[in-house]
Amino acid sequence: MRAQLRAEVLKLRSTRTAVGLLGAMLALVVTAVVLHGYGVPQENLEAPSGQLTLLVGWGEVLGALFAGLLGAMSFTEEVRHGTIRPALLVSPRRGRVVAAKCSASLLAGLVFGLAATSAAAVTGRIALAARGQPVTLDGGDYVLLVAGGAAAAALWAVIGLGVGAMVRSQVPTIVGLLAWVLFVESLLVDNAPGLGRFAPGALGQSISGLHPDTLLAPAVSAIVLALYAAGAVGAGTVATVRRDFV
Amino acid sequence: MTMNHVTKRFGEVVAVDDVSFSLQPGTVTGFLGPNGAGKTTTLRLLVGLAEPASGEALVFGHRYAALDQPVHQVGAVLESNDFHPGRSGRDHLRILALAGEVPASRVDEVLELVALGPAATNRVKTFSLGMRQRLGLAAALLGEPHLLMLDEPANGLDPAGVRWLRAFLRSFAEGGGTVLVSSHVLAEVAQTVDRVVIIDRGHLVADAALDDLAGRGQTLEDAYVELTADIAS
Repeated sequence: MRAQLRAEVLKLRSTRTAVGLLGAMLALVVTAVVLHGYGVPQENLEAPSGQLTLLVGWGEVLGALFAGLLGAMSFTEEVRHGTIRPALLVSPRRGRVVAAKCSASLLAGLVFGLAATSAAAVTGRIALAARGQPVTLDGGDYVLLVAGGAAAAALWAVIGLGVGAMVRSQVPTIVGLLAWVLFVESLLVDNAPGLGRFAPGALGQSISGLHPDTLLAPAVSAIVLALYAAGAVGAGTVATVRRDFV
Repeated sequence: MTMNHVTKRFGEVVAVDDVSFSLQPGTVTGFLGPNGAGKTTTLRLLVGLAEPASGEALVFGHRYAALDQPVHQVGAVLESNDFHPGRSGRDHLRILALAGEVPASRVDEVLELVALGPAATNRVKTFSLGMRQRLGLAAALLGEPHLLMLDEPANGLDPAGVRWLRAFLRSFAEGGGTVLVSSHVLAEVAQTVDRVVIIDRGHLVADAALDDLAGRGQTLEDAYVELTADIAS
């Protein structure tokens, strides 16, 4: 199992996919925080919950999304390029292969979440200072943002892996994840908020303390999102073990 | 390696229909058949990538998935391009060596063996088809297996490469190893193999020594065309 995990980590390190996703994510985080730092009306950026939700919270949102894409691609890229075949020849116990991918995705997701929320926190302070707006976030808010963002991204990476293992094809997997995050979730949150706060994207946000008035508490969110991740990777394992690779 | 009344269906299509044959140690067996005959499916069944609907596909007496350390027993090349284009050839092998718990020093040994050497540090997208074939073979040899299963291994090799492969497979079999090699190039097969297994539309149509099949004043090509035409008529 340790051997499998080391192989999975080398897979992530030996192509430009992970580094490229990380770079794109950081560029988007900085862009999103800077633009919102200028665009959001003054009165919405005074309270700590406003600064967290409307400004630095973009670190959590983008960290979870990109971690989900990385987790999904750790499976779909193997199918796309056919490397799943030699991988399963060497390791025919498919459950172990998915378990190793799950551990590697958790680790990579943590890195993505830490990087995205840290970048957002730093950029947010600079954006607020440039606008002459005092920072009302305290140390506890930052800890929740960074630790919660790392946890959310790690769990999202596992959800992505599970979806990728079920769908297998890269393009439908990525389109599906993006459509869910960018479109379906907003519909749910706007039109059925009682249901929407249990959606995985919303749970990621509430783990970091975003939207404290409408979403669930961070600890509850972490538990529910962890259950989703376990369900997704469980279903992905069953699909991987049962279905042929031709 | 044994196929024991193996049948595999994809939906309504019967890809492999009640096929039985086995390989003998120390021989090179050519695995022939028209496109779509079921060769690829048979190889996938043998290495556990696909599950038979009925029957058993066994290697060394076990289902592939039940082998303790398959890399030390079976080496297979199923496709000529199962690589990530952005990863170096050497990293491809390092990953498989890690997962198979093969010493890292084997990576350079097999690269030397297939004459890929320093080029292997480049990304696979820069490789020619012949180099990809060599890299795939290097991966199959990582664990020093006793059984090799190769799908069209000569495809894309230059004449020197084909000659090298032929000599390599012969010496592998003379050392007690077993080789199953699928191919469409009958002239090449006739020079390399001891035995021939032919399937057509999922059915086994021949399992014989090369001399028995291609003797009687017939070439292997004559025998092949005759056998694979039979079912159509």
